Amino acid sequence: MKLAAFWGCRILTSQYAYEMSVREVLPKLGVELVDLREALCCGDPVKSVNDFAANYLGARVLALANLTGLCDVLVPCNRCHFVISEAKHLLETDVRARAKIEDLLKEENLGYNPNIRLWHTIDLLHDCIGLSRIRRTVARPLKGLKLAVHYGCQILRYSSLGRVDDAENPRKLDELIKTLGAETLDYAERLDCCGSALMYSHADSALSLASSKLKAIQALNVDGLVVSCPDCGYMFDAKQKDGASVIGAKLSLPVLYYTQLLGLALGIAQDKLGLHLNQSPIDQFLAKVPV
Amino acid sequence: MSLVDSMSMAKPNPQARERILVKLHGRELLNCFQCMKCTSGCTALKLLELKPHEIEKLVNLSLVDELASSDIIWTCATCLKCVQRCPQKASPYHVIMALRNLTVEREVKVPEAYMKAVSLVLESGLAEAAQKITTRTMQICDRESLKLPKIGTPRESFQAVFLKTLEEK
Repeated sequence: MKLAAFWGCRILTSQYAYEMSVREVLPKLGVELVDLREALCCGDPVKSVNDFAANYLGARVLALANLTGLCDVLVPCNRCHFVISEAKHLLETDVRARAKIEDLLKEENLGYNPNIRLWHTIDLLHDCIGLSRIRRTVARPLKGLKLAVHYGCQILRYSSLGRVDDAENPRKLDELIKTLGAETLDYAERLDCCGSALMYSHADSALSLASSKLKAIQALNVDGLVVSCPDCGYMFDAKQKDGASVIGAKLSLPVLYYTQLLGLALGIAQDKLGLHLNQSPIDQFLAKVPV
Repeated sequence: MSLVDSMSMAKPNPQARERILVKLHGRELLNCFQCMKCTSGCTALKLLELKPHEIEKLVNLSLVDELASSDIIWTCATCLKCVQRCPQKASPYHVIMALRNLTVEREVKVPEAYMKAVSLVLESGLAEAAQKITTRTMQICDRESLKLPKIGTPRESFQAVFLKTLEEK
């Protein structure tokens, strides 16, 4: 299967570990990625400033994906996936907005193709590649590991837009982890937000949201937290120390991307998965990974 | 002081309410019957005292002006729980976003980071600049040293067209 890949700003500018691990694991599962040649924002921060401009950026991503000649585009960031989905919904339901956007795209020699399908890492792996293929490819089952899962808000809500998993009881990431041999557990704060969007205006509150969730997870005595969104990864991993000082807690929870975990189970070398880039205490987790 | 208190002396502005309705693409905020499901699950309630049901009510009463200049509309974490759970499809998230857009149109104070992100998009196509990452063993890495592909630049037409979209009201 061949897909266009739209990475979005956060992955391209700092969450390199997510990008590296996606680029490593997908080819091992028969997926080829074709990058969009031009860098582009999905429109997320622009939504607060001008909704039309944000929708134009979202539509522009789809138009750039169209240039690759492929009908499927991978958007590994939850936030980008949501913003582009809303832009797609607007194009499909509002004739006047669509005409306006298509005229502007024409000025850039671009065109919108309604047949383009969006994929996130989670539904691509779960629904398209499938658990049985992943199970067959696992070289080192992650037996004995107990993990907490954080889905991130924007691939789950809101359902009428068509999202990646169930809004109130998502299971796909849990199943993907269990397929690798590890255990997951449910916990009360499972659907709580990481707070990343508040970094724009209320950084301390954002950090407090993230670290309160980490504190609750740490109390469960799990081996680590698995995420699948670069914003959540940034808040829980890169900002873990800052968050801990905001709420005055001692936090020491390994946080990693699902694609990094999958890479370990497939037997891929740690540095190729960007595991040296995680800022949380990931070494204590890696010591428990069966060799 | 709660948001409602600061509204007690406010004058309704029906035109501003109309502007919000236009921005909502048909999402029917009139349908809100104040069940407070949005507020009971709101991510920003505990820390920042955001009460989405109050915002719905105030817009419905046309008390938009004070709301648009208030810091409270910038406390939404965009977790989308309110959109998901509203039994009336009134969608406080979209109302809050429409209020933010109105604030920008009126050139009232907007958190700087948003405007900075927009100007970065205009300059480079991306809302953030590429960072160097220091590993746990204190090595400094960037895209090049990690052998990741170079970030491309947007085509020439982009800036002019993006500026046009930002003027859209």
